[in-house]
Amino acid sequence: MSAPLDVEALKEEFLFKVFDEKTFSFSGQALADYAIACGETASRYTDPADADFQAPPTIATSLQPGQRMPKGFPKVAGLGMDAGKAVSPKAPIRPDVELLGKSHMQDIYTKTGRSGRMVFFVIRMEVFDPSGTEVASADTSVVIREKPSV
Amino acid sequence: MILDLHAHSIKSDDGRAKVQNYCQWITTRNVPIDGFVLTEHRQFDFESDYSELAQKFNLTILKGAEVETEYGHVLVFGVTKPLTEEFDFSNITLKLADVVAAANKHGAVAVPCHPGRVRVGMSAHIEEHGVPEGVHIVETFNGGSRGNEDDIAQTMADKLSYQGIGGSDAHIVSHIGRCATRFSAVINSELELVAALKSGEFEALTFKEDAA
Repeated sequence: MSAPLDVEALKEEFLFKVFDEKTFSFSGQALADYAIACGETASRYTDPADADFQAPPTIATSLQPGQRMPKGFPKVAGLGMDAGKAVSPKAPIRPDVELLGKSHMQDIYTKTGRSGRMVFFVIRMEVFDPSGTEVASADTSVVIREKPSV
Repeated sequence: MILDLHAHSIKSDDGRAKVQNYCQWITTRNVPIDGFVLTEHRQFDFESDYSELAQKFNLTILKGAEVETEYGHVLVFGVTKPLTEEFDFSNITLKLADVVAAANKHGAVAVPCHPGRVRVGMSAHIEEHGVPEGVHIVETFNGGSRGNEDDIAQTMADKLSYQGIGGSDAHIVSHIGRCATRFSAVINSELELVAALKSGEFEALTFKEDAA
């Protein structure tokens, strides 16, 4: 059995360091299609002709970095699962604007449960418009259930 | 007075319920409790003030914490700033003896929760670590218990002469009030909750069958 992860060492080495940058741009129709697929009905999300047309706030959670984990991040033994997403919309995302997504490891923490120790990795992508304004951030959490010692 | 002594809000990493929604659920569904205690995981929430919500819904809303020790998870009631400086609430390898000692030093009460649960309940660790000193109360009814976990908790409590409390361990709105604790005293503050727990004038309740 592999040794338990040294969480403090991982935090020291990897937290808050940008490990990926990727650009995104969406046409008005693509944003409207996304909104309709999500069940949105408000015209500011579904109608590109709307004067206040913008992406639904959840869109930041669908942006994927080019690289999911920092270079050199150790392979973790155990069962990995999606542990949820959280989005913080900060300004409207408009169509045909080049967005820059910068990803970093925001947190690494542990908890215990029926199945033993679990390690959570929270990867945050901060999304900026061309003026450098942060328009959203999205957290993606991944949990690794370490193999129980008993 | 009946309080659910174990609930989590979105302040906990796995909590999915807003406190306001707990209040709305209790009121609209006539959940038979007079309030609840938010025991967020591995932290004490100093920043939230629920007094307006409490007043609006005529509920008692208090705050505590749930920390993690070698005996499993432990509720702490009566948390103060000095107590949070005694040990790192986010540490998942705390010593129960240290938590109990710190709680006693600062006028708080430590209560092992879901003690019948595998790995994170006290009962599972007694054989390895022995009966801990300083524990007088355990959570005998937990709303998240599966199978016979509450029976294991009650059997352990009977054997070791512990008193029992009840808490829902709610992480979602509809689970609030599944288990609770009836007090003879009226409780409107964390200090009064600690006093009521120390008085021994309480009993654990479960409403799980009613909710099913």
